[in-house]
Amino acid sequence: MISDQAKKEIDIWVAKYPEGRQSSAVMQALTIVQKENGGSLTNELKQAVADYLEMPTISVQEVATFYENYNNKPVGKHVIRFCHNISCMLNGSDELISYLEEKLDVKTGEISKDGLVSVKRVECLGACVGGPMCQIGDQYYENLTKKGIDEILEGLT
Amino acid sequence: MVDIEIEIDGKVVHGYSGETVISIADREGIDIPRFCYHKKLSVAANCRMCLVDIEGNPNPQPACSTQSSFGMKVHTKNEKAKTAQKAVMEFLLINHPLDCPICDQGGECELQDVAMEFGSDISRFTEGKRIVDDKEIGALIQTDMTRCIHCTRCVRFGAEVAGIVEMGATGRSEDLKIEPFLSEGIQSELSGNMIDVCPVGALTSKPFRYGVRSWQMNSIQTIARHDLVGSNIFTQTHESKVKRVVARDNENINETWISDRDRFSYQGLNSDNRILIPKIKIKGEWQDTSWDDALDFAANGIKKHAKEGSQIGTLASKNATLEELYLLQKFTRGLGSDNLDYRLDAANPSNAKVLESNISLTELETIDHALIVNSYLRLEQPMINHRIRKATLNGASVSTINAKAFDFNYRISHSVLTSPQNTVATLSGVLKALLDKNSQTLPDYLNSVSVHQTHIDIANALLNAEHPVVVLGEHVNGNKCSDQVATLVSEIAKASEAKTLNASLTGNAHSAERVNFKPENGKNALQILSSDFTAFVLFDVYPTFDCIDSENAIEHLSHDDAFVVAMNSFDDESVLNCANVILPIASFYETSGTHINVDNIAQSYSASVKSAGESKPGWKVIKVLADLLNLQGFDFTDSSQIADKALSLTPNTSEIEVPISNSKMPNITTVWQYTPYASDVVVRHASSLQQTRIGQISEASVCKATAKLLELSEGDLYKGVPVNINESVAEGCVFVHTHLPRQC
Repeated sequence: MISDQAKKEIDIWVAKYPEGRQSSAVMQALTIVQKENGGSLTNELKQAVADYLEMPTISVQEVATFYENYNNKPVGKHVIRFCHNISCMLNGSDELISYLEEKLDVKTGEISKDGLVSVKRVECLGACVGGPMCQIGDQYYENLTKKGIDEILEGLT
Repeated sequence: MVDIEIEIDGKVVHGYSGETVISIADREGIDIPRFCYHKKLSVAANCRMCLVDIEGNPNPQPACSTQSSFGMKVHTKNEKAKTAQKAVMEFLLINHPLDCPICDQGGECELQDVAMEFGSDISRFTEGKRIVDDKEIGALIQTDMTRCIHCTRCVRFGAEVAGIVEMGATGRSEDLKIEPFLSEGIQSELSGNMIDVCPVGALTSKPFRYGVRSWQMNSIQTIARHDLVGSNIFTQTHESKVKRVVARDNENINETWISDRDRFSYQGLNSDNRILIPKIKIKGEWQDTSWDDALDFAANGIKKHAKEGSQIGTLASKNATLEELYLLQKFTRGLGSDNLDYRLDAANPSNAKVLESNISLTELETIDHALIVNSYLRLEQPMINHRIRKATLNGASVSTINAKAFDFNYRISHSVLTSPQNTVATLSGVLKALLDKNSQTLPDYLNSVSVHQTHIDIANALLNAEHPVVVLGEHVNGNKCSDQVATLVSEIAKASEAKTLNASLTGNAHSAERVNFKPENGKNALQILSSDFTAFVLFDVYPTFDCIDSENAIEHLSHDDAFVVAMNSFDDESVLNCANVILPIASFYETSGTHINVDNIAQSYSASVKSAGESKPGWKVIKVLADLLNLQGFDFTDSSQIADKALSLTPNTSEIEVPISNSKMPNITTVWQYTPYASDVVVRHASSLQQTRIGQISEASVCKATAKLLELSEGDLYKGVPVNINESVAEGCVFVHTHLPRQC
């Protein structure tokens, strides 16, 4: 289930913790297998991570559902992670998210029909100074406007 | 631990430094509301219901996580504490449904009780309430997750007590849910305790569901009879039926927990398969009859068929009460027979010394190494396994010598896979390694024994431990060399100064041993069932399940000249085939009796409900039968008189030396283990337990090499059980774990 390459990467993290505390590497392990699986986790993958780190599967599930950076449903090629916490909200993130949903004809948490984009509401990404903001891949987009969103969407292929 | 003095609500109380405020208050009988705190679980402090005012502290503090210190002044009922508690209650009730009238927990609900005291009459919450999907988690626990208040007691119970983390808190904030990973059903053998720890109606008993309201039932203190612990329970009854069983605290025996077997087996009592009316067989036809006729028929039959007393063989279930076993042995011996036995599942019911248990259940928590021999302890004796697990949490290690690598809920440091025919050799190896380390002279029988590294590892673990224990489990009963195994276990314990625990005496076998319910010079169970005796008395025996060689047993019992008196509580085809008269007897919770547990504690109990149909308590039936046969010394009017008499007996201690030798055993043997929910007749009829994952187990595990020799492939039937080829089984044996009757 987990590729040898992924196992190698997980082992690097496991080595950072004391012996017998391999379950501490669960967050990195989930990140690694999620990336390998095209951006989302499946029950089988979570089971595999639990087996590999010798921990209860429900404990992996707790981590995977607590943090916004894990996707427990399939996602599009690009995930627009839109902050909806206080600074962004005061600066109009709700309106922009609705605009995005309308434009892509997709609800938050779902994938657009062409499979290219999915939208997700997330908690604070630590860029309050530039709110409203979103994250796509490893890139932050700040001080967003409707026009800015149009431009970003055009750039997504 | 230093004694300290603190003040709670103006009352001066004592505790030790570091003890939490709630624990002192509980001991002093000062009531503090709580949901997440449970004395046997870790402190989570997440419900905030136990907020109290501590002088010098600006904010109210949770009593469950605040450690007491000298001179602390605590107020649990002043304005500040009450305001805080009311506020917490209001928050907890925001998302809790107002469905108490249709909730099974209603009337015994901690949330309901606390809301009565601290809740507001009027809700200020006008928004929509949250709804959570229910989870299907098996046949025993009903979920209503909208009612959950996220106290996480069930999560902590799984992680800390059951040792199988099945429930968890997924999601966050408004979306937080308590749920298992997949809805596959809970696996733990202690899962029912989650119902007890749940303070609300989120987890309730599925078999009990919508049966009757809690305040309509009577709670009767009694003892669970399925295992050798004798867990303390309440049977809750309504209209002469046991409706539910819940745990009763007894720190020395079961703490506050009980196994699922003890909790849900009561369903069997209400099964349709009970024998309700006495029956006699005339010319091969069964007829219902009156008690007088049936007893006369039985007494005359015994008189006629067993002109000599020695022609009688008596067999009893090891779950019978002390009183029944005492009277039955007196009855049999009074007729002049010494052919009696309760060890129906023993391949070698010898007269050798029975391995003694010299460690108490509470002491088991303090051991630092356990060697488990021939036992799947987790399923066989859940409460004993729980104590060992507690020891492992404090750093104890465990090694095993078993036919299969079992799924324990703690880590096994050394595991030796050994088939029954090699068990003597393996134990000899360990003993030799021990004696070598101690530089003791070896007895002759160890000279030719080879010692492997794993034997040395186990010997080292035993010797390095300060308080080791050796546990012998019930698989030994099916071993033809059981006496040698027991002797070697005892020698190993001696050489390593370890305590011993004999878990092969299951059910109420300690009572049977106390009243010497086995032959001194007469025939044992195996011999009785291969004899041409003309009269048999069976007490709650179901040959297809209970007898090790069931086909042979049934054949001999069905013999044309044999007269068989069966006292049974359940209908059974094999009994119908071989018996001549069936006297219906009371089952668990329907009769008074006594159970002797592994600590030699005799616990007496009274009947919780009256016997089903016309059935009568076993001791009364035996007494009347004895009177009809003019036997002396049966003038008891009360079961407690019998218990007094029985408890004054001392078991015969056998001093027979068992020579250790290379006994000839077949090359391939079978270890037959019933699931815990097929261990006695009552639990076999408990339908909900049968639907659980443990209850459904039925596989004959065999390793590749042995499978090849037996020409078995995956999915074939071995003695009626599907074959599963895997390498967790010792070579040379088939490990059958099933709920199906034994086949030879």
